[in-house]
Amino acid sequence: MRPFFELLKKIIQTGVGKTRFLMAAVGLGIAMLLILIAIQAHSNFSQLLYSSKNQNETADFLVINKTITNAMMGQSSKSIFTPEEIATIKKQPFVQSFGLVTSSQYKVVVQAPGDLHFATDMFFEAVPDSFLDVKAQDWKWNEGDRTIPIILPNDFLNLYNFGFSLSQDLPQISQETVKALPLQVNISNNQLSDQYMGHIVGFSDRISSFLVPASFMAWANEKYGMTTAAGTSRVIIKTPDPSNPALVKFLEDNGYTTNQDKLKFSKTRLIVQTIVSVVGFFGLILLFFALLVFSMFIQLVIASCKWEIQLLVILGTAPKQLQRYLLKQFVPLYIVIGILSLLLVTGLQYWAAGELARHDMQVSTWPGIPVFAGIALVLGLVYIVNLLTVRKYVNNI
Amino acid sequence: MQIQLSQLMPIPLQDKLRQRSSDIWNQEVTFQPGKFVKIKAPSGTGKTTLIHYLYHIRYDYTGKVQVNGQPWQAYNKNEVAAMRQRDISIVFQDLRLFEQLSARENISLKRVMEPKPYYPAEKIDEMAARLNVSHVLEQSGKTLSYGERQRIAIIRALMQPFRWLLMDEPFSHLDEDNTQRAAALIADECKARNAGFILTDLDNDQHFPYDVHYHL
Repeated sequence: MRPFFELLKKIIQTGVGKTRFLMAAVGLGIAMLLILIAIQAHSNFSQLLYSSKNQNETADFLVINKTITNAMMGQSSKSIFTPEEIATIKKQPFVQSFGLVTSSQYKVVVQAPGDLHFATDMFFEAVPDSFLDVKAQDWKWNEGDRTIPIILPNDFLNLYNFGFSLSQDLPQISQETVKALPLQVNISNNQLSDQYMGHIVGFSDRISSFLVPASFMAWANEKYGMTTAAGTSRVIIKTPDPSNPALVKFLEDNGYTTNQDKLKFSKTRLIVQTIVSVVGFFGLILLFFALLVFSMFIQLVIASCKWEIQLLVILGTAPKQLQRYLLKQFVPLYIVIGILSLLLVTGLQYWAAGELARHDMQVSTWPGIPVFAGIALVLGLVYIVNLLTVRKYVNNI
Repeated sequence: MQIQLSQLMPIPLQDKLRQRSSDIWNQEVTFQPGKFVKIKAPSGTGKTTLIHYLYHIRYDYTGKVQVNGQPWQAYNKNEVAAMRQRDISIVFQDLRLFEQLSARENISLKRVMEPKPYYPAEKIDEMAARLNVSHVLEQSGKTLSYGERQRIAIIRALMQPFRWLLMDEPFSHLDEDNTQRAAALIADECKARNAGFILTDLDNDQHFPYDVHYHL
């Protein structure tokens, strides 16, 4: 085939409009670069969020309740989740597991033992055990037990130790001491009143409430409950990624609220995602125009050599041979552009990985598989468009 | 390879041609493989048109041109190209050389069009010597005289394998001596391939031992 193509080179002048072609090639290069950067930035971001190398474990527990507005005040039923709402929450893709927070429907008074002279009205809540971050051996209750295991919020002890006790000249208490304190728990409704022993078994960072085992809660609500079941006004979900914009949007749309601190990353992420998408979008637009110019260039070459190509075909040159020759004039350039963009992206990624590593963020030093897939896809697209254009115009001649 | 004409009639010439009798137009004609065929035709009777129909670069006819039992239209472009590379060669009346190529390159084009050339490159010099055009091989097609172009076109047509050689007034620009040389070369090459030819010309001639004569 070689000597024939050398003769074809003298017959079919591809030099016409070469500047335009080279500019389109530069455009293709930039388009490819933008697309690859968008792909790589996306995978870097996913690595930062989900990779085990970046220790911030992202799976998180969120306690969700409805936002109390002025209009709702005094109507506690409006803050209660209906069964439909609960079903909707359960169905969301970002909800890994779901639990109800059950509140007590009886009065609770807790007294400190001995001469501490401390007594307070209180409430209990219960969540399914799987949502607890405290794993304590004593966290169980069977009917007939007089001792109730209790989990306190960590914040509560901090409030006491650093807020209350200092101002009231009371002693600060360590976690161990609190666990050792036998508390007297009075549970009552309007008719019944019973005394139990409370035993603090742990402190939770996850759920800001006074927790008792679900088994006790069910039993006590049955026995001392003053109202018919009040329904659930707080639920707890486990989500793999609290910064998921879909989750934040879901909460906003339904007027739900949760610990905002856990969601704050979401905004950053949304911005980054938007920027990455915009970059990728511009890449695609540019790619589209580059393809357009390439097609027009091929058309121009074929049109300007129409007489020569006709004679070649008359002399017996197969359209297939012409197609192969024409593609051979363009395709190597595309491959070079692909390799150049890959090298550039590799350099960028290497540099970015180094910069991020200085801030303890680990991303891979080399471009990932999606980048290679992206190159293959773009080059494949360019090739197919070229092939179709060449085939169309050669066959029309 | 058999070429058959069936009720072939050029649409632009049909009124004129119906007025007179012809051995070819509107007849059933079969060109037997390996025969030397002479078609004598006065000007304006569709000589070049016939060659173009046989070579399938004009299609404005009624009736059929069948190659190996199939009408030309049954072959796709790549199949037609393959036949022009291996089965049918041609010397056009208007020669059709590339002006941007040298004489040698014009000839080489048909030699290397097929991945496996029929003849080695040296054959070009050998044939050029026989036709007295060795000295113009490196000249550009643009600078050649008609007689030189005609001989280059003949050599080009002989560079490939073929079963049939189509020639449209192939010696119109050659003197008697050069015509004899070209005819001898063509006859040798056809015999070497066991191939036939179809030659059209205005007058009677004795350049070849023709097997069949037609009057267009």
